[in-house]
Amino acid sequence: MYISLNWLKDFIKIPAKLEAAEIAKKLTDHTAEVEGLIKQADQFNNIVIGQVLEVNKHPNADRLRLAVVDIKKEKLNIVCGAPNLAVGQLVPVALVGAVLPNGLEIKESEIRGEKSSGMICAEDELGIGKDHEGILVLDKGAKVGEPFAKYLKADDIILEIDNKSLSNRSDLLSHYGIARELGALFDLTLKPYEKLIDQKIKFDDQLAKLEVKIDDKEACPRYMAIKVEGIEVKESPAWLKERLIAVNQHPINNIVDLTNYVMLECGQPMHAFDAAKVKKINVRSAHQEEVLETLDEKERVLHEDDLVISDGENALAIAGIMGGKESGISEQTTSIIVEAANFKAATVRKTSQKLGLRTESSTRFEKSLDPALTEIALFRFLTLLKTICPGMVIASALTDVNSTVIATKNIEFDLNWLTKKIGQEIPRETAINILKNLGFIITDETENILQVEVPSWRASKDVTIKEDLVEEVLRIYGYNNIESRLPVEELSLPELNHERLIERKIKNILAFKYNLAEVYNYSFVGEDQLTKLNIDFFNHLKIANSLSEIHTMLRQSLVPGLVGNIKTNQAKADALGFFEFGSVFFKAPGNLKKEITGDEVLPYQEKHLGLVLAANEDNLFARLKGVVNNLLQNLLGYTVETEFSVLSTIPGWADKYQVAKIVILGKEIGVVAMLSQTAINNINLKKKVAIAEINFTTLVDLIIKSPANNFKELPKYPGVVRDLAFVVNEKILYNEIRKELLNFNPLIKEVELFDVYVGDKLAEGEKSLAWHINFQSEERTLTAEEVDVVVSELVKVLESKFAAKLRE
Amino acid sequence: MKNKIEQIKKEFLDQLAKLKNIEDLRALELKYLSRKGELSEIMHGLKDLSLELKKELGELANKAKIEMQTKFTEARRVIESYGKKDDFVDVTLPGEKIANGHLNPLTLVQNDLEDLFTSLGFIIGDGPELESDYYNFTALNVPPLHPARDMQDTFYIDSKNKNGEYDLVMRTQTSSVQIRMLQKYGAPLKVIIPGRCFRNEATDARHEHTFYQCEGIVIGKDINFSNLKSLLEIVGKRLFGPDTELRMRPKFYPFVEPGNNGEYTCFLCNGKGCRVCKQTGWLEIVGAGLIHPDVLRAGGIDPEVYSGFAFGFGLTRLAMLKYGINDIRLFNSGDLKFLEQF
Repeated sequence: MYISLNWLKDFIKIPAKLEAAEIAKKLTDHTAEVEGLIKQADQFNNIVIGQVLEVNKHPNADRLRLAVVDIKKEKLNIVCGAPNLAVGQLVPVALVGAVLPNGLEIKESEIRGEKSSGMICAEDELGIGKDHEGILVLDKGAKVGEPFAKYLKADDIILEIDNKSLSNRSDLLSHYGIARELGALFDLTLKPYEKLIDQKIKFDDQLAKLEVKIDDKEACPRYMAIKVEGIEVKESPAWLKERLIAVNQHPINNIVDLTNYVMLECGQPMHAFDAAKVKKINVRSAHQEEVLETLDEKERVLHEDDLVISDGENALAIAGIMGGKESGISEQTTSIIVEAANFKAATVRKTSQKLGLRTESSTRFEKSLDPALTEIALFRFLTLLKTICPGMVIASALTDVNSTVIATKNIEFDLNWLTKKIGQEIPRETAINILKNLGFIITDETENILQVEVPSWRASKDVTIKEDLVEEVLRIYGYNNIESRLPVEELSLPELNHERLIERKIKNILAFKYNLAEVYNYSFVGEDQLTKLNIDFFNHLKIANSLSEIHTMLRQSLVPGLVGNIKTNQAKADALGFFEFGSVFFKAPGNLKKEITGDEVLPYQEKHLGLVLAANEDNLFARLKGVVNNLLQNLLGYTVETEFSVLSTIPGWADKYQVAKIVILGKEIGVVAMLSQTAINNINLKKKVAIAEINFTTLVDLIIKSPANNFKELPKYPGVVRDLAFVVNEKILYNEIRKELLNFNPLIKEVELFDVYVGDKLAEGEKSLAWHINFQSEERTLTAEEVDVVVSELVKVLESKFAAKLRE
Repeated sequence: MKNKIEQIKKEFLDQLAKLKNIEDLRALELKYLSRKGELSEIMHGLKDLSLELKKELGELANKAKIEMQTKFTEARRVIESYGKKDDFVDVTLPGEKIANGHLNPLTLVQNDLEDLFTSLGFIIGDGPELESDYYNFTALNVPPLHPARDMQDTFYIDSKNKNGEYDLVMRTQTSSVQIRMLQKYGAPLKVIIPGRCFRNEATDARHEHTFYQCEGIVIGKDINFSNLKSLLEIVGKRLFGPDTELRMRPKFYPFVEPGNNGEYTCFLCNGKGCRVCKQTGWLEIVGAGLIHPDVLRAGGIDPEVYSGFAFGFGLTRLAMLKYGINDIRLFNSGDLKFLEQF
């Protein structure tokens, strides 16, 4: 929003010493962010007033002429094409170095062989009008050599205020509102708005009444209108145009400009209809698919939840957003109906959003306007109309369909409580003054309790509870003027977040022990991505308004992201390794409630840990299993062994053979596998890829519940290690044999596989598993003989169970 | 004879100067300096001379021998030193290459924040990334049709409730966890909730639909604005250095009242003004305020007994500032060349 300092001066006396920068800073620190200060004169830098001394023919061009222009300190030769150029004229001259509002930079140049040092400007080139018929000829008062800005009296400074920081302050969307705020900030007297209204304007109830019907009083709580005749539509007077241009509005004609002027001044959007085109007024819902051509000459298709102003039959305007072209002001208009209404914020907002049509009017209504404004605005409009259209005659009774309940809002405000909330005492007088300056009325005060009446312009949405008053006092007093004091409290033991601690530990192990890099992938996946990985996506949660087709669903696994990481980086190194912690999302009901009340729950979400290795090596699967086992031992104790067992349902992305579930302490926590060749081909990967995905939520549970890793007493007697290799059919599982070995005899304390052999020394379909078998007694030193007995029994049992042969 | 001695010496020294290896050196030693060398022969020959001559030439021969010996030793030292290559070490060579892994910079910054706040006695909280419209908006005083709910700002899940409305969102802010924390822990409470958030916006170097925030809540019987200010000050000093100052301005958030933003002295230019702080000397880092009584009530806490404040940091923004990262998309890019720098 643009605010003109000159305009503010209509309402408050800004001391000469008060710089614009200080005003901007004060507003920023106490009210709303001022994003920029624009000095009007800056846009006319390097443009001065010159006098045409000579006009000569251009030797090489019929339409161009050579002018000699006096700018006081020198005489310039300028090539000019304007037909109205004449000796003696006072003209605006853009000197070399000037940048015109349209972006044109003036340079020393040669035009058809003749040197030109500057440019004599037309009105449109200076951004002060539309005229391009010829150069702008200034009146006799212009002084040669003087800056053009000075001639224009372009001494205004414009504050650019961030609209977002006004989202809860509909009262500040106007010059008067900002003036009121500055009054409170600088302790300046604000001119009452009534003073700006001509009290002599007479309303006559005897005049014909406008027929106004409001269907939905909630959507349109107040509608004021009046008919005025004797209107002459023409260009606005200079003062009106200048003000509009200063705040970035384009002048159109005197009537439209005046509605805009009043809106920018007091904050109430207005609309003027051509009275000849409007028989009566009905504020109603649009018909389904009703079409209206708006003032911007676009056809708008409306629906039942849009609010329109109609003449009983056809829509004339979209309420609070934009008028229709048909009933708009034209040069033929001689009588008008002026509307100042209050529309519900939500309705305007919804329609404006749906149509993609945001206007100065809709941005104001969206923020909930004070219904009292309609009256002020209408009277102010008529006051000003009289000055620019002296022949105007009020031709109807004043219509005011008002269903707003004027209930003044009172808040009980305890100054001791204020001190408690701020943590510092604000002097009573200061607090009261701040509230009064902002327009709050103190209706009653006892020792420390104030009864505060909220002014109508703050009551529409903004100030409703005592906490809101704390903010008012505090922000004007200044957040930066409050002393800092840390809270004093009793010591208490904060609850540990185990998940976070374990996550951090795992991250450190993965990064600094196995040299993996941590990635953060998106929570979203797409059809193509999942299809290539042969992952079924019908059960995935979908985004209703996704940004692109690569992000249409919520991930159920970290695998797609990790595979993508390999794809992105495969050319960067021979071997790659990444890991990720991230949430995954399922349609199944979860354990968190949707609302405080009720039984509905959020979809199920859990955290996963994913690991990926890629290289052109054969042992990737074994390496990743090793990483997983070692990681789990780091977390659960070095005596715990990870079991990799056969999976019944193989994930679509996995290789059919090299895939296993990860089981620890009897609990399944994830899967480890090689990426299938099909997936590798689909994605065009150049390396083999091993992936593990662990359910972190389950793992954390397991870690929290698992008992501490108890120390085992060191053996008192020496143990005996026998190395035995068994040849078995390749389909006999390591897990089965291991279980058998461990459970075979209490003397066998530990077994460890140290070699797997498959090759020409064995028959086809056979493998040899070689084991260190550790025999240990807690009571005695074992003899070779007793170990031999156990071994020979073991060999027999393995032979009968697995057809295992001892390999010599 | 005299000349002979000089000549031998000259010959010896000339040859010595040309020598390059230890073998030639030994041969030279044998020829001139050994017991049967040329000099010894001369000295042998002296015995037949007159006493005076013997003395004179003897002295001369001895002097020559000492000089030759000295030069020879020097030459040997030089030749031996470059002869023995294994003794020389190029200490400037690099050490053995040790591979390393990498933590994402977001993790590093989150760890810093968690350490800072746990040292102040805060709990680290968690909440769901897929959240209900209720916890993300309604319960935080953002009613339906509020600007903050724009479809273009929020990812909605394609599943409708009984009233036919989308009621599940990808949380747009970690503030969505505020009420869950109040319900879970009650008062008094000190908790931070770092985590992933989502905004439905097109990505470019400065915009990302997936980013991280860190929310903080403090609830107590006497918690006030002065406490909030003080806490934000010490956080700034810890994050950006002991001379960091805090500047607060009013800012509207529906779930706090009063609400403010917080700017810290730009740590890149020490407040002098630079490109990153847009020449202001300040960086906007935090949004905060006293928790709105509606939010406390929704969390089951009586606002007449307890009060509290909440604050939120843009964790991704902190990481960008800390490491000077100029493209927000890098965090989620999985690009090894990026990750390798952390």
